[in-house]
Amino acid sequence: MSHNSSSPDFLHHHFHDVDQQYQTSKFGMWAFILTEVLTFGGLFVAYTVYRSWYPEMFYDAHLLLDVNKGMLNTIVLISSSLTMALAIWAIQKKNKKLSLWMLVITWILALGFLGIKYLEYSHKFEVGQLPGIFYSYMGPEVVNIDNPHIFFGIYFIMTGLHGLHVAIGMGLIAWLIYLTKKDKLHSDYYTPMETVGIFWHLVDLIWIYLFPLFYLIG
Amino acid sequence: MSNEHHITPLRTYLIIAGSLLFLTGVTVWVSFIDLGSFNIILAMAVATLKASLVVLFFMHLLWDDKKNLVVFVMSLMFLGIFITFTLLDTGFRGGINPEVKNSINSKASFYDNLPLTDTHGNPVDSHDNHHEDKDDSHH
Repeated sequence: MSHNSSSPDFLHHHFHDVDQQYQTSKFGMWAFILTEVLTFGGLFVAYTVYRSWYPEMFYDAHLLLDVNKGMLNTIVLISSSLTMALAIWAIQKKNKKLSLWMLVITWILALGFLGIKYLEYSHKFEVGQLPGIFYSYMGPEVVNIDNPHIFFGIYFIMTGLHGLHVAIGMGLIAWLIYLTKKDKLHSDYYTPMETVGIFWHLVDLIWIYLFPLFYLIG
Repeated sequence: MSNEHHITPLRTYLIIAGSLLFLTGVTVWVSFIDLGSFNIILAMAVATLKASLVVLFFMHLLWDDKKNLVVFVMSLMFLGIFITFTLLDTGFRGGINPEVKNSINSKASFYDNLPLTDTHGNPVDSHDNHHEDKDDSHH
């Protein structure tokens, strides 16, 4: 029992002090980010290999994506990254109300991202621009392209896994809203907000690469 | 290490977010200029600049304990090894055995049975094309 009676209630018994607890949590989150980079890394390798094999097909197939929706989603996600960072800034400054508002806006922007993604996906399902053997679109733009189903396979897996991360992030942000509202998070203890923030910025970071790789092939 | 965490000034966050939006505009703009193989290099350079801003400022790595930066940079190093060594195989297969390259570049066989479609994905018979266009104009 190394803790004296004055140790705060948010300090878990297996940590020596608050700072050690905070640093350990962040280090754990960064170890998780490493596994995330390598998870998406495998898909980025698949993308690189197939694009090096089919450069013309990737160029022609990418014209079927909607650049405006992709750019809008980039703006939505960068804005949500800002509001997430500001939620942490606000709680550091002891402004609970602003922090809650920033979290709510972040959550709404995440929902907006998935909404725009849904519009894109549903259009592709309608016209048959789908992965592998589900591919059936043979419109005038693709009659001279070989194997566009590979482009859409990689597109759906990469943006799909990314979208799953956005959905998980929404769950985590909702949890933060609950914790903040209940005063479980405050300027002395906001570690969950800091670590979820790191996760949320990673989601933004991956989209920063996905956007030019799929929508802006030169 | 003190218990006081670094608090990034509000101004910094706003400048970073502004820069990210500006660079998004830049990357969209240059993608419509034909620079040949330089397009992809420029697009990745801008994306990496954006990613660095996110990692250093939004993810607080600039002021954080440096062991977290080491973990993150390690992940990028392993990703680099992953991509490089895979491309050393896939990039030079045709040079050793041209047959392998040819089979990879051939069109998948299921395309032989796919009917041509219009831009809405509906199958069209090439002879009825004109007829279908007429139908559309009534709506």
